[in-house]
Amino acid sequence: MSRNEPDDRAGAVFGALSDSTRRALLAAVAEHPATTATELAAQLPISRQAVLKHLNALTAAGLLERTRSGREVCYRFTPAPLSDAVDWMTAVGAEWDERLAVLRRQLGAGTGGIKAPRSGDADEVTTSAGSRDKARPSLRSAGTPAPPPTRRRSSPAAG
Amino acid sequence: MTERIERELWLPATPQEVWDAVTSDGWLGDRVSLELRPGGDAEFESDGQVRTGWIEDVAMPERLCFWWAVDDEPASRVELRILERDNGTRLRIVETRPLDVLDLVGVPLPGAGSAGYGPALVAA
Repeated sequence: MSRNEPDDRAGAVFGALSDSTRRALLAAVAEHPATTATELAAQLPISRQAVLKHLNALTAAGLLERTRSGREVCYRFTPAPLSDAVDWMTAVGAEWDERLAVLRRQLGAGTGGIKAPRSGDADEVTTSAGSRDKARPSLRSAGTPAPPPTRRRSSPAAG
Repeated sequence: MTERIERELWLPATPQEVWDAVTSDGWLGDRVSLELRPGGDAEFESDGQVRTGWIEDVAMPERLCFWWAVDDEPASRVELRILERDNGTRLRIVETRPLDVLDLVGVPLPGAGSAGYGPALVAA
């Protein structure tokens, strides 16, 4: 069943980050944009050849971008796959907040008004992840819940 | 931080009432179709958007675990636990995505009263 398999791109990101050397490389590139393989090899106890191999894996996963500068190839950190993860947390967290608000209206004890989920009071809504302050669902109309926010990939500012 | 969403809510209702509410049309989607057995199909339609998935595990009325995805998005796993507690029912929701990128690179999440996406991400 294809739906049971992780998304290819997500799998590539995960694979690329599963190696500690690659994570160190990614951190180094993020800190010094437009770094070359030679510069990175000088910072790490591995050969330029090995650095290149890891940079290729990170590039294939969409986490690095190559640009040519004269005779050198420079690398730059491209966080799109990561902001995708942040978007997911934000959107999915908001969807559940909204669903819980619906449930509270439906089954909660004689609610005169809707409590904002952030209050963390008697209704004991707990949050361990996600962002409450972004993509907050509208809780105004008691009868017709607003549609849950659409998941999107890489435009946290839109909407 | 992982790609994991957790919510918990206490309701003055019985587990069966909560079960009925969370599996009915209008909650997980405007139109919900669940084949309540491990491996059963699940479909959720809201505003013309259809999420498809499958049931991983079900124990009515206290546990429902399923996977769902929209189009080419990575599938995520949802676990609903419904437990009788304090003369009511505690509903606990965990949605996770297998990919755990944020944890691996230690990127701080926005919203935690913080530095947004972190210096590395802002700089890029």
